[in-house]
Amino acid sequence: MKQMRQETLRRIISLVLLVVLIAVFTFTTDTFLSWDNITSMLRECGVVGILAIGITTCIITGGNNLSAGLMLGMVCMVFAHLYHYTALSLIAIILICLLAALAAGAFNGFAVAILQIPDFVATLSTGMVFQGITYILAIRNQYGSITSEMIKNPTMALLGGKLGNGIYYVTIAWVVISLIMQVFLKKTKMGTYIYAMGSNRKSAEYSGISFIKVKMVAFLISALCSFIGALFFLGRYGTNDVDSGSALSLQAISASVIGGAAFSGGRGDMIGTLIGVLFMQVLRNGVLKFNMTTAQQSIISGVIIVLMLVFDAYYNEFMQKRTARAAALAREKEGAGK
Amino acid sequence: MSEKNELLFEMRNIEKIFAHVHALDHVNFDVRKGEVHALLGENGAGKSTLIKILTGVYTKDGGQIFMDGKEIEINSRDDAADAGIAVIFQELSLVPTLSVYQNILLGKEQSRFGFISDRAEKQQIQELIDRYGFPVKATDIVETLSVAQKQMVEILKALAADAKLVIMDEPTASLSSRESELLYKIINQLRDRGVSIIYISHRLEEVFNLSDRITILRDGKNAGVVEKENIVPSEIVKMMIGKELSESTASRELHTSDAEVELAVKDLTHIGAYNHVSFEVKKGEVLVLTGLVGSGRTEVIRSIYGADPYDSGEIIFEGKVIKPSIKRSVANGFGLIPEDRRTQGFSPLLSVTGNVALTSYDKIAKGGFVNKKDEDALGRKAVELTDLRPANPNVKVGDLSGGNQQKAVLGKWLTRDLKVVLIDEPTVGIDIGAKDEIYNIIEGLAEQGVAVLMVSSDIAEVLRVAHRIIVMREGKIIKEFNHGVATQEDILLASSGFVDEKEAA
Repeated sequence: MKQMRQETLRRIISLVLLVVLIAVFTFTTDTFLSWDNITSMLRECGVVGILAIGITTCIITGGNNLSAGLMLGMVCMVFAHLYHYTALSLIAIILICLLAALAAGAFNGFAVAILQIPDFVATLSTGMVFQGITYILAIRNQYGSITSEMIKNPTMALLGGKLGNGIYYVTIAWVVISLIMQVFLKKTKMGTYIYAMGSNRKSAEYSGISFIKVKMVAFLISALCSFIGALFFLGRYGTNDVDSGSALSLQAISASVIGGAAFSGGRGDMIGTLIGVLFMQVLRNGVLKFNMTTAQQSIISGVIIVLMLVFDAYYNEFMQKRTARAAALAREKEGAGK
Repeated sequence: MSEKNELLFEMRNIEKIFAHVHALDHVNFDVRKGEVHALLGENGAGKSTLIKILTGVYTKDGGQIFMDGKEIEINSRDDAADAGIAVIFQELSLVPTLSVYQNILLGKEQSRFGFISDRAEKQQIQELIDRYGFPVKATDIVETLSVAQKQMVEILKALAADAKLVIMDEPTASLSSRESELLYKIINQLRDRGVSIIYISHRLEEVFNLSDRITILRDGKNAGVVEKENIVPSEIVKMMIGKELSESTASRELHTSDAEVELAVKDLTHIGAYNHVSFEVKKGEVLVLTGLVGSGRTEVIRSIYGADPYDSGEIIFEGKVIKPSIKRSVANGFGLIPEDRRTQGFSPLLSVTGNVALTSYDKIAKGGFVNKKDEDALGRKAVELTDLRPANPNVKVGDLSGGNQQKAVLGKWLTRDLKVVLIDEPTVGIDIGAKDEIYNIIEGLAEQGVAVLMVSSDIAEVLRVAHRIIVMREGKIIKEFNHGVATQEDILLASSGFVDEKEAA
């Protein structure tokens, strides 16, 4: 019998978790399945979901990107700074922000691919750099919190808006980018190389695939996601608080893991991450309706993530041992038959 | 079909020197078109060095390589691949989460605007699979395949790259007999289609069935090239060992042959590793388990120590059945000198004292605090007992030579009151002078009445230290030799499959 792939089983588990959670909240509260609640949940998914797209890509290469959220914070702050203290046009500001994000992404890529620093450590430190820049550009507002100046621009505010019937633009962007990235990962050469590099770096390199190129591409994609996320973030809130970034990273990483991305690399995809983001959001939303605290909700998602990691760590080993035992028993029989 | 004796590949006067040691000394080796050519030799004879040179992992220090009559230089894996040389790795080189055809095409995908267009290739690969009757599908995901199937994918990869010369290094080591049969069939098909194969295996029987010619290496030199038709197995074994050595006989007489049994195992079985293994070790006796790598020897001693589980059978220590765990083993006076000392034997950043003390904190720590004086005394004692050099217990073990590192590992146990010591390949990578000292330490332990159970592949070593020798193959005990009766030939023939089990019983 053929063993079921880790991916397949993980997909089933995450879908079942999501469906169970939705079912529980639907039957225990009146408001969960209301149109308003659904659209607002999907809105909450948007920015985290967009970040998770980039982070999942990095995780598939066998790495990670802890700096994605902090990079988003930095881009917001660069935007606010330019908006208030220069006379640049909106287009110019957006372009500069894009360049800043790509430069930051290339910096991540440089640290990981060329300096060969492990992704975790590298992006932990680059994240600190991004946060430092965010602080430099930040101001203290009249309530005493360290934040950016309020951006009151009608074009930007549009990004925070919604289509007539209630679906927010950020939700649409999240789903569309996810689908584009899914096609990229599964149908293009670079997509295949991203999986190959994460799954077995040596063999990918022996096949002539460049480690540096693959890592660079992954971090640039992630930077692009941070940039797009930042625009939607500003569109909604008009401002950015210096501490929001790291929380976003952690939520996005959690969503990736719940969706099936494995830290060991080579596994995960955008559909899984989409499910993971939805799961995190439904949990949060439903729990709020139950008047559970954030602490309780953190514990639930933390425990689920640990279980997923344990599953990833042992599933393949377990299956291999089982196959080896079956083969050995068969060999015994063969021997006895002689 | 090509001319029968036409040469495809030739290596002339190949030399390779590692730190003043001649790993290969003017070795000649050639392969004909459509030939299965076996490469034989004991561990350290130079087989893998030769293979690494011809696949571009090492560069040669002298000699010439010819492919199709033209001289070529192989300085990298790419050079080897360009010349049409492919190696079937055990499983290293596949990407587990991609499909069979994706693995075969990896790095060579056809694409339009970055999008892969590989339908034609996928079909070609499926046709190739069907032509040879490989038991896989092009779309199977590699990680769901068995070891044997993965190996088939490696072979497919070589075929898809139009390899003229395919190297197989111990390809049947982890295959069942049915899977091996299939591999033999495929090898024969490849030969019929004009592909040449270099076949490396410890299993002489298999080598005899498959190969057309056999090249034998010994101590980095050519020991002979023979047509299979013209030779019998025992002659090959003689060539592998060297005549002058084959006279030396085992073994030392047990000085206390009436000693009591310290450790015994009965019908010990761990499915997939070893089957119904039974033996006894007396106080003061050195029992050596030998056989090929993968014959289950290491697994047996790891189970006895409690480092690995077992499925059935009994382990008896001083007359009582025990259920081993590492903690209980240490308390019972067991010691383990593991196979890979670098990863399992010592902590390179700790001093000799620090390493030695690791096994003895129960004795030198009071209420959780270490008594520094006792700890230092322990380090000095270890240095003294093993004659460790430099005779300074404060040196980091990572900075010592291989032999002295092993002495430090031995020191971890010598400083305790040992009853049973389990030793796995104690002298791999250790120079000859230090080897002797380690043998002396092992003999010294036995003289003090410690029961020594050792695993070794080095036949000269086995004959040097063993009172009794057990040969294992494929997880079973094949033959047992008492002191004074075994020769190198006997052991080699038994471990490579020329003694059948009935004869052993």
